[in-house]
Amino acid sequence: MSHIHIPDGVLPVWLWVLGWVAAMALVGIASRFAIAEDHRRKVPLLGVIAALMLVAMSSEIIPIAYHVNLTVLGGVLLGPVLAPIAAFVVVTALALVGHGGVTVIGLNTVVIAAEMLIGWALFRTITRALGRRRASIAAFAATVPTLALTTLLLVGIVWLGGGKELTARETGALDPADMRFENPLGDGVFVAKLFAGDEHAHDHGAGGHEHDAAEEPCTDTHAGGCGEACEDEAAATLSVGRFAAVVFTLGPIGWLLEGLIIAAIIGFVARVRPSLVFEGALAENRAAIPGDETGAHR
Amino acid sequence: MNLASIDSAATRGESWLHKAAPWAKLSAFALVLAAVIVNWNLLVLAAIGLLLAAVVASSRAPAGLAFSLALYPAIFAAIFAVSAAPDVITGAVIILKAVVAALAAVTMMLTTPYPQVFAPLQRLVPAIVGDALLMTYRSTFLLLGKFANLMTAMRLRAGVTAGRPLRTARSTARALAGTLLYSIDLAQRDHDIMRLRGYESRLRVTAVRSASVPVDVALVAVAAGVAAASTASRVWAETLNPYTWIAPAVGALLLVAVITIGRKSR
Repeated sequence: MSHIHIPDGVLPVWLWVLGWVAAMALVGIASRFAIAEDHRRKVPLLGVIAALMLVAMSSEIIPIAYHVNLTVLGGVLLGPVLAPIAAFVVVTALALVGHGGVTVIGLNTVVIAAEMLIGWALFRTITRALGRRRASIAAFAATVPTLALTTLLLVGIVWLGGGKELTARETGALDPADMRFENPLGDGVFVAKLFAGDEHAHDHGAGGHEHDAAEEPCTDTHAGGCGEACEDEAAATLSVGRFAAVVFTLGPIGWLLEGLIIAAIIGFVARVRPSLVFEGALAENRAAIPGDETGAHR
Repeated sequence: MNLASIDSAATRGESWLHKAAPWAKLSAFALVLAAVIVNWNLLVLAAIGLLLAAVVASSRAPAGLAFSLALYPAIFAAIFAVSAAPDVITGAVIILKAVVAALAAVTMMLTTPYPQVFAPLQRLVPAIVGDALLMTYRSTFLLLGKFANLMTAMRLRAGVTAGRPLRTARSTARALAGTLLYSIDLAQRDHDIMRLRGYESRLRVTAVRSASVPVDVALVAVAAGVAAASTASRVWAETLNPYTWIAPAVGALLLVAVITIGRKSR
């Protein structure tokens, strides 16, 4: 639920461009740190963890439009340096099969990376407080607030971009008040004006002021006012409040589901291979092939 | 979402679109996406969708898979549309934008192997990111296979049954945990193999040569035409709106023509 399933072309250009800039900066900085040491080992690890997240994210639970993310698990295993890179890889791969818009890859990367980083930090803190034997409780306690926070971030992003008024030009030919179908090849062959297309220029009495909803967005400062039409147009904005209400109603079900699944996975892995959970995946199998102890061939 | 079927369609197909150069398909995808982004007219978006459907039909990509993948984001877009759109028409436009943009992406992915799509991206992003994209692609299929095998084994041992959701959830979580452990071992094995083969800092993808340059140019030109028409219908909306019904009508005719010709040629 926490990453953006808003289609391309709904959020304003400045917002998704800003998302791309932020994501590229985040990924660029993470890459710099990542290649500093043991670069060859990180590439396949990033690949498999991103693939695991990809497999989880591409299996939806349809009735509540929810899918498991495994982002907190990815954060715990990869740590803060590799998490933004994994977030970018997963979001890009999903966008290419139509899951999440291409333009919102940047914003989604920021949201997913935040989820992985917050999840990692909370899990470490809670594990330190509760002890290693309660890893699954720590995983649940880290996942639920992490998802709540990133859902808040998602609503914040929609609030930043969603309050823009949609003008008559944007809603196009299918505004029921202005639905006309005309023949371009000549007058009189056929002109079907559904919903009384000629009458959409409303007469607002008093001053006889005509406000054509199709011609200009209402900025009503006209004397005499155009009350009703302006109220209609003022309402033509994306309702962030309603969106937040829906997300925060459906969200908790998803947070709990994800929390329980991640708790079960981490609990299991903590029993059979504890170093993976408590030290991260890079701490595993540090032994080098004889003759290659120095790392890259030089 | 059947990622293996997408890969199979992309690598085994032999249509004109499969043979087109990846750069041409990527450029055409970007232009069609721009057309979807700028326009808010339901009829224009429907026309772009019909045009893409005609392209899918002509490329002989698996139509069922293409449309099921394209409709998938409609579920999530509908949640956003219902909760945020001010009226029914705007809600429908939001859903159609999601479906048409997804259809454009899916059309490209069903006719272009992943490594060819990632190759241009590799030049733009840091080496570790480009390589991780390719490793993710490879690992996804391995993990999907492993996860499916684990689930089959659990089903055979009655670990996954419809009547016991809690037991099923626990089994699924354990299957995921097992897949995770397998994936860590897989990463180590990949690392060892890459070391032996002298991997330093970048995986290379061999570029595919175009079968026909004129086809590539025509593909990009048509996509540019769609983007220009979409932009024009937005900029001159007041004049053009009454005539936008023509666009989906032409799109529908094109789709019917492509399907008819395709059936006759078989």
